[in-house]
Amino acid sequence: MPSVATLPKSGAAGAQTAADAGILVVDGIVKQFDTPEGPLVAVDRVSLSVRPGEFLAVIGPSGCGKSTLFNVIGGLIDRYQGAVTVGGETVRGPHPAIGMVFQEESTFPWRTVIENVAFPLEIAGIARKERLEKAKRFIALVGLNGFENRYPAELSGGMRQRVAIARTLASEPKILLMDEPFASLDEQTRLLLGDKVLQIQQDLQQTTLLITHNITEAVQLADRILVMTYRPGRVKRMVEIDLPRPRSSDVVSSEAFGRYVAEIWSDLREEATRGMQDEESRTLHAGAAS
Amino acid sequence: MAEASRLNLPAAPNTGAKPRTVGRAEPVLVVRAVIIVFILLFWEAIAQSGLLYRDVVPSLLAIGAAIVKLLSAPDYYWHLWVTASEVGAGLIVGGLSGLLIGLALGGNRVLSKAFEPYLYYLGPTPKIIFFPVMIMWFGVGPGSKIAMGAISCFFPIALSTAAGMRQIDKVLIRVGQSFRASAWQMATKIYLPAMRHPIINGVRLGLGVAIIGTLLAETKLSNQGVGFLIIQAYSLFDMPRMYAMLIVLFVLAIGANALVGRLGGLSAIRQL
Amino acid sequence: MNAAALTRSRIFPLALGLGALAAAILAVEALIRIGVINRFIVPLPSQIALAFERVIVEEDIAGRFRLTLFEAFTAGAMITVVGVSVGLLLFRINILRQATETWVAALASAPTVLMYPLFLVIFGRSAWTIIMMGFVAGVPPVILKTIEGLTGTRRVLINVGKSFNLTGPQLFAKILFPAALPTIFVGIRLGLIFTLINVVGVEFLINFGGLGQLINDLAERYDLPGTYAAISFVILVSVCFFVLTEWIERWLRPVD
Repeated sequence: MPSVATLPKSGAAGAQTAADAGILVVDGIVKQFDTPEGPLVAVDRVSLSVRPGEFLAVIGPSGCGKSTLFNVIGGLIDRYQGAVTVGGETVRGPHPAIGMVFQEESTFPWRTVIENVAFPLEIAGIARKERLEKAKRFIALVGLNGFENRYPAELSGGMRQRVAIARTLASEPKILLMDEPFASLDEQTRLLLGDKVLQIQQDLQQTTLLITHNITEAVQLADRILVMTYRPGRVKRMVEIDLPRPRSSDVVSSEAFGRYVAEIWSDLREEATRGMQDEESRTLHAGAAS
Repeated sequence: MAEASRLNLPAAPNTGAKPRTVGRAEPVLVVRAVIIVFILLFWEAIAQSGLLYRDVVPSLLAIGAAIVKLLSAPDYYWHLWVTASEVGAGLIVGGLSGLLIGLALGGNRVLSKAFEPYLYYLGPTPKIIFFPVMIMWFGVGPGSKIAMGAISCFFPIALSTAAGMRQIDKVLIRVGQSFRASAWQMATKIYLPAMRHPIINGVRLGLGVAIIGTLLAETKLSNQGVGFLIIQAYSLFDMPRMYAMLIVLFVLAIGANALVGRLGGLSAIRQL
Repeated sequence: MNAAALTRSRIFPLALGLGALAAAILAVEALIRIGVINRFIVPLPSQIALAFERVIVEEDIAGRFRLTLFEAFTAGAMITVVGVSVGLLLFRINILRQATETWVAALASAPTVLMYPLFLVIFGRSAWTIIMMGFVAGVPPVILKTIEGLTGTRRVLINVGKSFNLTGPQLFAKILFPAALPTIFVGIRLGLIFTLINVVGVEFLINFGGLGQLINDLAERYDLPGTYAAISFVILVSVCFFVLTEWIERWLRPVD
């Protein structure tokens, strides 16, 4: 499987112009896990490069290692082969320039919305008044003004995810890394939230890397889509999404949208089928063995 | 595009509010009042009948008078203070060590499997039997009582803390790591708040058994404290006084338990 | 073995736990022998081990054990009969349950054992004081769990019974009660544990009875190794009792 995209040399300080150089460079990541059944290669030689201000989506079937990739880039996993660099600096552990938004419910239930959003600023040691003011701005950015003093339990799932996004944005990362942030939401909420994220991304010119399994979401939001294979996860294809910017959720009804979705589905279907067959055969053997 | 910038998503209903059923509370209050009155009448009947040995069931008046006498005597409060400070000290010693051990065991699977069974199986044992050893180690003064309170509350607090560590939503820890929180920040801003419910429940249980352990030790060997007063009343066969002390003790103990429970309940509104 | 396998293995933690215990005992032995720990406060573990045999033979451990067991089982039978009956009653009469359930819960956490001087007056220094204290301590969890079991039966199971036109008593005997049984057993187990703890504790406090009294006796005789040995023995009995009730409960609930 061909590796894709132009890869600036690692340690690219002083490389080509900023527009060409990838601000986030993932180079040949190989991650293997030790399981009771033996070593399992989750990610196999994945490389990609994200341009500044770009919205890159990584899509793949369940079990393709995309969450592993997310954790590797975010610095939460160590012991892998290959390298991740941000603006030329190698990533070794969570990096200040990378902000992560997780798939699961991740707001702190014991903190109010504003205390949640101010959390990264608190960690960084910023004074209380300043960080609360800054947090207010990001709360407004995600459309939650008025909810500053509510607790997450009082909000809906979609609102909580917005709080999580605001919290990560408050740390002003160069790269926003999101792992299926809308997975637990219903379709309509997802579309509207996608609109919101698009708008924020366009306003802030935020470089974003989105991991997802949802094709329409990927095509709606992304500039480029990287399709991964089923385990072991490799790069299958990189697709340029040439839909006009600025975008809104109306784009889902356009013809070009449909074509992109079909194109990616045809790639994905093969991988998803392999995944399903693999799962079925494993369940079969597990049942026979017990 | 202006419409797109305003998300009109409905907020979830406020889960903190409890539905009020007006008028439903009344039959319960009536029944409770009836039961209490019935018990009091029954008691007084036995007291007056002379059926049981003199003063084993004193008249309600005698008990009431004894309560008043007890609560208006300044030296009762001194004894109460002695007991309360012994319980408090025992709770601090047992609670802090329980918390630390619980954190260590909860955070490491191997340590947990190796040592938690000891706590789990040693927990439900009669701690008062250790009292002679505590006397040898800490003397006949408050030290041995504090030690009794400490070993009583150590176990439930350690076990609930360990369990609490394990039930922390793992994603919250990853959030802290992704923001590069220091170990101290992780402990104080993530681990401890995430465990507040199990810890509070553990402390509640711990408070209950610390009170019991300390008081029993006082009844066995002491010259001060509420436990001492109870045994003193026993040896003087001053039954109304003993009843008075037991009643006041129960009210205080149940009240303390409810107070800690409220502390936990307050934060329950915030729970996801 | 890498860290992952270590975490998953069953032998390693067991060995670690037992090994640490053995090491601690050896360390105490050594520290006493070299004088760091005062041997008149903490006897040599080796002496405690020897005292075990002496205590078992000379102090009629078997007889004392039987007495304690008798007290515990009598109280245990009482808490089962009274606890389940009261629980049933409260379940049937809704208003009574609403009125008194919190009282029972408060009783469960209250320091009821502090009433032992009172019971001493009423029942004298006899086995009955001990049994009654065991009863008072163990009955609240039985009542609460009985109520919980009966009220917690899933609605759908009751509806199945109704759809088969079962009468009230049939519904109770064939559906409600069997469904509640596992929870009721949990309650009885909890109650038995509290009962045993209080039985031994009160035996110690009033210096009467079986094992608890033995500890008090040996302590008053300043027989240090004997006291430590007796305490260890009681702990052992308590742990065995706890494990036994756990096994019985698991055996009675094969599915869950």
